[in-house]
Amino acid sequence: MASTVVDVVMPQMGVSVSEGTITRWLKQEGEAVAFDEPLLEISTDKVDTEVPSPGAGVLQRILVQEGETVEVGTRLAVIAAAGAEPSPAPASAPPQAPPEPAAAPERAEPEPAEPGPAPAVPGAGDGRSFVSPVVARIASEHGVDVARVPGTGHGGRVTKKDILAYIESGGAGAPPAPAAAEPAAPPPPGPEAGPAPTAAPAPPPPPAAAPGPRVPPPPAEAAPPPPAPPPPEPPAPAPGEIVEPMTAMRRGIAEHMRRSLDTSAHVTTVFEVDMTKVVAIREKLKPQYQAAYGVNPTYLAFVARATIEAIRNWPWMNAEVRGESIVVKQYVNLGIAVALEGGKGLIVPVIKNAEGYNLLGLARAIADVAERARAKKLVPDDVQGGTFTITNPGGWGAIIGTPIISQPQVAILDVEALVKRPVVIADEAGNDVIAIRPMMNLCLSYDHRLVDGAYAAQFMKELRENLESWDEATY
Amino acid sequence: MSGPRTAYLLNLGVVEYREAWDVQRSLAAAVSQGAIPDTVLLLEHPAVVTVGRLTGAGELHLPAGAEVDVVETDRGGRSTYHGPGQLVCYPLLDLNRHGRDVKRYCRNLEEAVISTLAAFELAGERIEGLTGVWLRPPPRKICSIGVHISRWVTTHGYALNVDLDTRPFTEWITACGLDDAAFTTIASEVGRAVAVDEVRPVAAAALEEVLGLAFEELPADEGAGLWSQPTHARLASR
Repeated sequence: MASTVVDVVMPQMGVSVSEGTITRWLKQEGEAVAFDEPLLEISTDKVDTEVPSPGAGVLQRILVQEGETVEVGTRLAVIAAAGAEPSPAPASAPPQAPPEPAAAPERAEPEPAEPGPAPAVPGAGDGRSFVSPVVARIASEHGVDVARVPGTGHGGRVTKKDILAYIESGGAGAPPAPAAAEPAAPPPPGPEAGPAPTAAPAPPPPPAAAPGPRVPPPPAEAAPPPPAPPPPEPPAPAPGEIVEPMTAMRRGIAEHMRRSLDTSAHVTTVFEVDMTKVVAIREKLKPQYQAAYGVNPTYLAFVARATIEAIRNWPWMNAEVRGESIVVKQYVNLGIAVALEGGKGLIVPVIKNAEGYNLLGLARAIADVAERARAKKLVPDDVQGGTFTITNPGGWGAIIGTPIISQPQVAILDVEALVKRPVVIADEAGNDVIAIRPMMNLCLSYDHRLVDGAYAAQFMKELRENLESWDEATY
Repeated sequence: MSGPRTAYLLNLGVVEYREAWDVQRSLAAAVSQGAIPDTVLLLEHPAVVTVGRLTGAGELHLPAGAEVDVVETDRGGRSTYHGPGQLVCYPLLDLNRHGRDVKRYCRNLEEAVISTLAAFELAGERIEGLTGVWLRPPPRKICSIGVHISRWVTTHGYALNVDLDTRPFTEWITACGLDDAAFTTIASEVGRAVAVDEVRPVAAAALEEVLGLAFEELPADEGAGLWSQPTHARLASR
């Protein structure tokens, strides 16, 4: 039973926030709810917050009604996983709910206390009601601001053990350092490359990264995960070093990349493709397309078209791992990684329903989103809902890459440089000869949680065949 | 020590409440996925009464014939009034980057307003349990706060009374559900006319300081691709 039921708990909305009021249930008992869909709204101070559902299924029972105020960590509702037998709900919520912040309205890592809170604000918070006298005494003896100590107690409360560990770790007497939360790692120096580094981040945070549905809720008495130690103060820049803050987008990318590696079991496979036929067709189409439509049929467009065609037969390439379910998309929303000028970051605009485009349509759509991305003219809708991503570092001469998957997708295709190489082929008489051929490597990173090597290789084989035997009538 | 983080600042002028709400939501979506940095909107609303989630019955008592819109919003707090002469500030921040703490965020907004008022030699204060900024004695409310958070991204913010008739706060509604509250403005406290234009740069600087941001001011139409086109077209056509 435990594995099919997910608890919704009052999330922790700040170190000094001990309780919240339910303002509105957005779903009623018995109603279906999707993972990450807004489930209820809570109010703390003058702030209303949407709480997304920690699991998919049916809202089986609401335990705390609108208007009631409860402590952080209190069980608010129970969601029965889709397909689970409806189970009799407990008569009342246990007061000591699992501290697992399953419903926390963020991307869900167990939350250590904020490493670098802002300088104390006069009158801020009511942290005192949250601290035992022992902890308060230790704090004042050592000159520690309790708000800075990661709490592991119920609802994030700071225990005696926490504060002693904090003092032990050298936290005491440290100057208030908001910068601690912002390690000032300088971005790599030098000219930033243009489009499409190896990896393609998607800006949207991946709901699949939340632990909610995958991890059965811990038993009520389970200890919360231990907090991470406070991050060390970044060292002052040494002579010869230049320090600058990361931009918001840089941080977003950094966070997404790290989270993707933590989520998916990345494997990369590389296929080499003989592009002789594509090159010939492109040479023929290029003047036609440019004269008639002002569009350049790029190699990227050819690869994108062939990829979409291959996805038809290998649908798990266009899917998502959602909790313990596999969600296959019947449409292809194709993400194209685009680097912004001046190394300002990377964005993945999405071509919606790309399966409906022929080569010309795709070439035009790719040019359009890339241009709008660089001109910062994308609307939010343009970057959401991708189901498969293509990144294109080949324009800079790259020949092999291991791209990082854009969550919650399960695959990303890296299009490498077209290079003339000597290859062994069979001549008309069936003898081996060495020929000069335009070769292109395609590198696919896939999520081995869902896709096995044989499946990925067969997908790639079909993609290669689509390109090597390009059929103008079909594409 | 890292420096302030770049954020966008948009001065939108007078914008109808629902229109500004659309702008907020679409920009907040872009902020939430890292497509744009934190963004702060400064603007004024035409006269409007807004109703928060916790608004009680009896808070609204509009006189017959009052020319005012009533809009139900998703912000925290209760009813309030906006009108020209009030500086409205909507910070669209990803609190994942500002410490995920709703109370601290409210205290920070108050701090920014207190520091803005200090430039006019007014001593703004907090009153425990009554989020907002007050002058006293006797207590007179000069700034209201109401916030909505979705996936740790904030919308709504504060409304600072610069120079406007405060009677609607009490005669049209029981603002904030506070029966005996008095409302005041910067102009009536300093005894001269004060333009919103005079307060805006001070307010922006205070927010930069308190939130650790460095504003890059965008012209209102630079946001072109940042929000939905129909709203943008309306704003740009002004």
